[in-house]
Amino acid sequence: MNIIETHKLTKIYTDFTAVSDVSLHIPKGTVYGFLGPNGAGKSTTMKMFLGLTKPTSGSFTIDGKKYPENRVQILKEIGSFIEAPAFYGNLSGEENLEIIRKILGLPKSSVSEALEIVGLTQFKGRLAKKYSLGMKQRLGLASALIGRPPILILDEPTNGLDPVGIHEIRTLIRSLPEKFDCTVLVSSHLLSEIELMADYIGILNHGHQLFEGTIDDLKDNAAAQGYPTDNLEDTFLALIDADNKRQGVVR
Amino acid sequence: MTLFVESKKLKRTGFIAAFLGGGILASLIPILNMAVRSENFIGLSERPLKILLDANWQMMAMLNVLLVVIGACIMYHTEYADNAMQKMRTLSMKESTMFFGKFILLVGMSSIVIALEAAAILFCTVHWFSADTDFFIELLKNYGYMLLLIIPSAAFSLVIASACKNMWVSLGVGVVCIFIATMIPNKNFILSLFPFAMPFQILSESAVKYCIAACIEIITAGAAELVYLKGRRAFE
Repeated sequence: MNIIETHKLTKIYTDFTAVSDVSLHIPKGTVYGFLGPNGAGKSTTMKMFLGLTKPTSGSFTIDGKKYPENRVQILKEIGSFIEAPAFYGNLSGEENLEIIRKILGLPKSSVSEALEIVGLTQFKGRLAKKYSLGMKQRLGLASALIGRPPILILDEPTNGLDPVGIHEIRTLIRSLPEKFDCTVLVSSHLLSEIELMADYIGILNHGHQLFEGTIDDLKDNAAAQGYPTDNLEDTFLALIDADNKRQGVVR
Repeated sequence: MTLFVESKKLKRTGFIAAFLGGGILASLIPILNMAVRSENFIGLSERPLKILLDANWQMMAMLNVLLVVIGACIMYHTEYADNAMQKMRTLSMKESTMFFGKFILLVGMSSIVIALEAAAILFCTVHWFSADTDFFIELLKNYGYMLLLIIPSAAFSLVIASACKNMWVSLGVGVVCIFIATMIPNKNFILSLFPFAMPFQILSESAVKYCIAACIEIITAGAAELVYLKGRRAFE
């Protein structure tokens, strides 16, 4: 069963098309890797799911609920982290989560639990504006995870983390479907990273959907089209390069 | 709950300090004015409240409106500075709830400031004139009237602040509105309906008209914010 489904989702800004006819099928209880180079339309698609931007055309349903009719009900089921960490700099990490807890009507223990999961307990009293980039990233993750939402939308969650942090967050994301019975949509521009976390992947380039399926499907698909398959990074680059040539894009 | 959340967000922003400091400063105006040149006022035949308000209210009202503009800017600056607004918009709450929560807080702080000013007027009356029972009733009426007339400027300041990600833009627009308000003649009814000019009014024969106008402006500001919030998503 697909918990998120899009049908020809499109977002056109005045001077360019950010997302064009994207049809995604994200199965429940999986980690879905959303892959593409910078500017491919990953964040725009995620923003549409969260109601931060309105689709120009096409539609999507989340857990059977349609946007925009059920926007608030959809948001109740999603924990999100989009682009850069978003927080109140004048408040401590704990106070930031306390605000979200109050809004979502969660029990008091959810704050300490979220801090514990992302490893911020030790720094909970420090003002968020004084956090390092990695700590801000962790706070953003904690604010997405608080209350254990059934759907998590994470946009490049490992940005700014050190190698140890990247490993920790990857392991955490990988374990979430089993631990919290949730579905994770995670974006990245690195196939190597997605490969370690995701059950399914979707590839976007310049707003166009190039592929959707499992890593094995991607390998088979690439082999059939004559692209290298020994190294997935090369496969991904070959796919993107071929699409750029098809669209006449100069990088 | 909304009020609790909105007040929590203002921790360490200087919001309360700004209002208390501004309120004390505005309250000192009539006291200092009377302390320095009481002979100009004591001999006048009008009622003490009217004498004091005629002599000081323009300056006090200007400080009040400035405080309201600054307060609105601080409130939305905390939302935009570190992108917290984006997080709030992805939570299962209506964005309008946040606006109305901030609005109630801003009006609440304005009521404290005007109460401080009313206390200063009371002190001046007791110290330099004499206060009878009628005076207290008049003071209360004026307090309510002044509070009602400052609400439209609070509502419009918040609408401006919510639309501007850069605090300096909303502060600049607010200050320009205050300057325009100070140039509007008080006696011209239509022009003095400008939301930022309304707080300069003192209880008079046209009070009912001003009260109705204030209510209409408050509703207009609320509706404008709702339309803005709906429209913003379409253009982002």
